[in-house]
Amino acid sequence: MTAPWVLDEDDALELLAYLVTAARTQVDEAAEYGPMRLLTAAHRLAEAMGPRSSAATAEALAGPLADMPLLAVPRERTEYVEQLDATCRSLAAHLSARYGAET
Amino acid sequence: MTDPVLDAIRRRRVTRAMTDEPVERAYVETILDAARWAPTAGNRHLQRYVATTHPGTLRVLRMVSPGMIPRPPAAIVICVDRGLSERYGFRPEAPGPWIDVGTATATILLAAQAVGLGAAPVSSFSHAAVAEALALPEGWDPVLIVCLGHPAPEQPRPISPNRRLTWRDLTQWVPGDV
Repeated sequence: MTAPWVLDEDDALELLAYLVTAARTQVDEAAEYGPMRLLTAAHRLAEAMGPRSSAATAEALAGPLADMPLLAVPRERTEYVEQLDATCRSLAAHLSARYGAET
Repeated sequence: MTDPVLDAIRRRRVTRAMTDEPVERAYVETILDAARWAPTAGNRHLQRYVATTHPGTLRVLRMVSPGMIPRPPAAIVICVDRGLSERYGFRPEAPGPWIDVGTATATILLAAQAVGLGAAPVSSFSHAAVAEALALPEGWDPVLIVCLGHPAPEQPRPISPNRRLTWRDLTQWVPGDV
């Protein structure tokens, strides 16, 4: 069985353009913008794929990632890292539940 | 002291979420007319403006502009005419023309507020991609995009400064503070 696509061509093109142009702008931008640009890409990917994802994935996308402020930069480093670690843990828990039993 | 200009300056905020409501072209033209009155070094007017309310063009602009948070129904791209700058004797890396983009941007942001629109300046975009998408004339360098639109009720939290700054934090009197 083929899994249904969670992005259509327009969604994918939008994300592709964002990533390529962000690589260029980051050459000239403040380093603290790097994590923010990656998280913006993640936000946009989550927004695009959420409606066509499985219920469990949609729930994971609506978790700590959605709570991560859109314009967060690591100025309050400790708080920022804690929030990002929580997002990573939540994602890992979903990935383990989805793929962990594979042999 | 209560002054409408000072009051507008203090109330202005960047609008990072905009509604789908179209922006009337007349508003954009009023804003462009205000920009024409922004101060420019030597009264040279090296800036050129590209305005659009075209949905497809705006969609492409946003796709190649990582710093563009809102989905604007209108935008003004402020360009520097490099050929004209060169004819005035500016070296390519000279900051003068960029400074004039700053004065134009400040004027546009306040003019947008005056006509009841929200505005968001965007400097993070691929200049090469924007020049291609807008089919800019040879030598026009896009330096800044100002998104225009009606503010959405909910706005993303702005990037928080390390601490709240006052003008005193940013200023040094000469000679010596009193």
